Amino acid sequence: MEKAKRENNRIIIPSSLNYLREVDEFVEQKLREEGVSPSLVTDIAISVTEVVTNAVCHGNKNDCGKKVTVSLEINKKQVAVRITDQGPGFDPGHLANPLAEENLLKDAGRGIFIVRSLMDEVKFEIAPDSGTTVILIKKL
Amino acid sequence: MKLSSREIQDLVVLEPKGKIMGGPDASLLHDQLHEYIKQGKKKVIIDLSKVDWMNSTGLGILISALTTLKKNQGELKLANVTDKIQSLLTITKLVTVFETYDSVDQAAGSFK
Repeated sequence: MEKAKRENNRIIIPSSLNYLREVDEFVEQKLREEGVSPSLVTDIAISVTEVVTNAVCHGNKNDCGKKVTVSLEINKKQVAVRITDQGPGFDPGHLANPLAEENLLKDAGRGIFIVRSLMDEVKFEIAPDSGTTVILIKKL
Repeated sequence: MKLSSREIQDLVVLEPKGKIMGGPDASLLHDQLHEYIKQGKKKVIIDLSKVDWMNSTGLGILISALTTLKKNQGELKLANVTDKIQSLLTITKLVTVFETYDSVDQAAGSFK
């Protein structure tokens, strides 16, 4: 299996969920090193795994030839995580409502909803020719 | 995620441990549950006391377990739900879908 590439505050993985745990461990370690509280580490870690899962499965269609990049910027005021895939993008305003009665028993479709609940800001940069970047911001 | 299980009379207690986030071990609980259903054991408690956290894939695994058991005339209860998981169940309205108990004993006592 190809190795994930780690550079300072960035990790780049092939598009496979086999790397999800490694991404989580990388992110949590970086956050702990900067003294982020355990509760916030959990919220950020959950959110990162949500977005990375979407990037792997929906963005890059599980194509191991395509990469997902996760990079962190941590300062005293906030943590910002950028997750970039190489896919064609999506419309974050047109996602099914996971709280709707007809969707409650579906086993998927809650990822972005949870991320928006846990993070202070969620931004999307979508460029069909150069992939999608989701930016997660959590204030410290 | 690691998964262990034990039986209390005709009940099964599944004990996942670690983080439930999807990936290669996502099918562990599903596969174990199907084994128990094949054996006719359809009263299941998932003890979440050793789960650090879960994401939406983890919630999906719980929902899949619930619907699988219901289709097979079984029941699923959750026990020892941590604060973080409880908050996820609340914000996703899944508190209206799952029965949750403070302990495995309480969950066990609730089966018909």
